[in-house]
Amino acid sequence: MFEKEIRRKSEELLETKTVDMVIGYTSGSLPFQARPVLISSPEDTEQLVWNHFSSPNLARYLLPYRDSSKKIALLAKGCDARAVMVLIQEKQFPRERVHIIGLPCPGMISKTKLEKELGEIKEEDFSFEKDTFLWQGKKWEIFPFLEDTCSRCRYPNPPLYDELIGEKRELWGSSSTDYLEKINGQSEEERWQFWEEELSRCIRCYACRNACPLCYCKECFAESDLPRWVSGVPTLSDNLFFHLGRSMHLAGRCVECGACERACPEEIKIGLLPLKVEMIIKDNFSFEAGLSLEEDAPLLTYRETDPGEFIK
Amino acid sequence: MKNNWEPKIVAFLCHWCSYAGADLAGISRIQYPPNIRVIRVPCSGAVNPLYILKALREGADGVLVSGCHPGDCHYLSGNYFARRKFFILHELLQWVGIEKDRVQFSWVSASEGQKFSQVVEETVEKVKKLGPAKKLVKEFTFHV
Repeated sequence: MFEKEIRRKSEELLETKTVDMVIGYTSGSLPFQARPVLISSPEDTEQLVWNHFSSPNLARYLLPYRDSSKKIALLAKGCDARAVMVLIQEKQFPRERVHIIGLPCPGMISKTKLEKELGEIKEEDFSFEKDTFLWQGKKWEIFPFLEDTCSRCRYPNPPLYDELIGEKRELWGSSSTDYLEKINGQSEEERWQFWEEELSRCIRCYACRNACPLCYCKECFAESDLPRWVSGVPTLSDNLFFHLGRSMHLAGRCVECGACERACPEEIKIGLLPLKVEMIIKDNFSFEAGLSLEEDAPLLTYRETDPGEFIK
Repeated sequence: MKNNWEPKIVAFLCHWCSYAGADLAGISRIQYPPNIRVIRVPCSGAVNPLYILKALREGADGVLVSGCHPGDCHYLSGNYFARRKFFILHELLQWVGIEKDRVQFSWVSASEGQKFSQVVEETVEKVKKLGPAKKLVKEFTFHV
């Protein structure tokens, strides 16, 4: 893909001291994985990789440097760039200290789906091209193997960048509403059954919260002692409380990157809750997070004509 | 047993309108069901959605949030902000399969003692139809 260009660009940025650090991806410790890496010397840029497994949201890794004076270059897919925009807007990171290298996202592939469909797989047998890959002499479409969160992607192209590497790409054709429609059409009891089954699997490891670039509270309400909102025990009611509370905290801020859902060890469709909230906001308050630096967040403003029929 | 069941409803009333409305209902001797437990809050905008979830988790069968009519907020716009938050929460709760009448909202002004009693009657009636809350109620308590 554009690995060489990314390495060259990062090297150049570090050598000219335009930035002090590059946040990117390097190969993970297991095959079909990439992990975040922080690079501050030009010779280390060889470690950088960019492939269909570079899924963690790197905006998350900006936050520890909020109070430093470092200037940071960040590799950003559509969702990473949107998350950075929200962080800038919420004054969690100054615009002038982040250099966004925009990367139109080729779609992140789920290792689980590959293994399920193809059985035992080795990394070296795969060669990826645009939207397809070669495996055992056969050409496969990428789309069915995409992470759920990526197949419903609405913004593969970064809305904010200092430079763009690669060509802007089209949507996959399946929209985020497809996932929600399935549940929207169900009866109250069916919806409850779905969420009861999903959320009773939650072990409250908080991986979803920790992967989220926008869950940056120093003390999370889930772990607060005074007031104690919720117990740490993973019972259904506490799990539901945590996830509903988290979705409400992300209202008008979630950028649908799906980092929470990909981080979940129990494979709970946890990204759907904040996504639903985003869709409620989009439909009723015509706002989408991370697309503009000027527009007010929906819960920090109001209109006199907001829906109010539900109030007696 | 079931016939004698009376719902417990937590009512968050804003200090400037609904709480005064409830007061007026009281001094005017207007009758309304005794199922509500009133919590006075400075403004409906001060009601954190977590309060509502917490009330349900702690065993309330229903929650009523009431504030000033739009345009009449003592703090000028608190209820407009509240309306957005409540709208999102209300839709989200329904979407995960929690009955929509568990959480109800109303605007009651300080002069609407009669309306307050009607709102409470209506709220209680709707919650009674749903029966005791089971979803979201905590399963057990830890003593620390």
